[in-house]
Amino acid sequence: MLHTNPQDYLSQIWPDLPVEILADLGAVFHKLTAKRKTVLTTEGEVEKYLYLVLEGVQRAYAIGEDGKEATLVFTYAPSFSGVADSFLLQKPSRYWFETLTPSVFFRTSFAEFDAILQKHPLLERKLRIALSETLEGVLVRQIELQSFTAEQRFRTLMARSPHLLQLVPHKYIANYLGMDATNFSKLLGQIRI
Amino acid sequence: MIGELHNLGFYQGFSKDSSIGLQKKSMEANLLLDQYYQQTEAILDKAVKEWQNLAPEKLLATTQPGAWNAAQCMTHLNAYGNYYLPAIEKAIEEAQARGSKAEKEFHSGWLGAYFTKLMLPDSKTKMKSPANAIPPAVVEPVETLAQFIDQQERMLKLIEKARRVNLNMVRIPISILPWLRLKLGDTFGFYTAHHRRHVLQAERAMGRA
Repeated sequence: MLHTNPQDYLSQIWPDLPVEILADLGAVFHKLTAKRKTVLTTEGEVEKYLYLVLEGVQRAYAIGEDGKEATLVFTYAPSFSGVADSFLLQKPSRYWFETLTPSVFFRTSFAEFDAILQKHPLLERKLRIALSETLEGVLVRQIELQSFTAEQRFRTLMARSPHLLQLVPHKYIANYLGMDATNFSKLLGQIRI
Repeated sequence: MIGELHNLGFYQGFSKDSSIGLQKKSMEANLLLDQYYQQTEAILDKAVKEWQNLAPEKLLATTQPGAWNAAQCMTHLNAYGNYYLPAIEKAIEEAQARGSKAEKEFHSGWLGAYFTKLMLPDSKTKMKSPANAIPPAVVEPVETLAQFIDQQERMLKLIEKARRVNLNMVRIPISILPWLRLKLGDTFGFYTAHHRRHVLQAERAMGRA
């Protein structure tokens, strides 16, 4: 899916948004290209940008006191990306945000985004619905983490995002699922044709 | 790599008109790093898109008895990575601490250019690997590939880091001749050439070349 400008991209996410709002919002997004494994936001830093993913896969991950990484979420097109809570609350991020493959984005700053939201109450409403869906997704994942077996988590992800297998090193997927590489490889062997 | 120097006429002097001649080469440092970045990215891309999704037995297939399988090729490359990645990282960090700044032009040293040419996939020179880099007969394929992928990711980061230091001045001790130190730009050159060579070998072993 190729989008030449942010307005077209946004009109796919919100097809019923009036053109003038799409134009105002689209005007504050700017293109950014990032290489593989580029850290875009570090822990402790306030997220400066809201991203729209055009190409590539990214992840948010926390680093524990023991130095171990915990992959929280993957993002890929079409989707918003970045450290959403830090961006919206303008508070320091608790986790990191990086590209896992060469990536292309449109992104906007908090000040620009906030100004457009104030100007268009309808957009504020759209954002509330989008955030509700995000919250739903986070809670569903919480259920998966706490009540699913490793195999159930694996099969759920394979049903939802099987394309990740060809896009990112499997260690990140195994980490997201909370399993070690050997276990992941065994489960992968079961579904491989 | 260095272990096979005696096979290469290293101690017999170099021939000026040899196909692996000793001409010094200058190049814009950033363009050179772009080239090594793209070559490493291409290797990583192949490993992620294709190799990690193959049945692990594929990585253990060989075309002829005694030839290395793909997992053994990667074990061999991982051994180089285990030495060179930390060595390069340390050298870059020390250079930055000393205040090293990027220099526009990179001038390949004669030794570096020589090694790189030898390593290139189309080099006609047959080589024997040094004993400490010969992989064992039995290699665990999944972990080996995971480590291989990990190392390519680290290499990409190091190439990017290297843009901030002087590729002519930072030097890396060669793995088994530590008194011999290659310029950082040449180290990247022979390292990626060596990788490309054995990645091709791995693909042949898997019947994918």
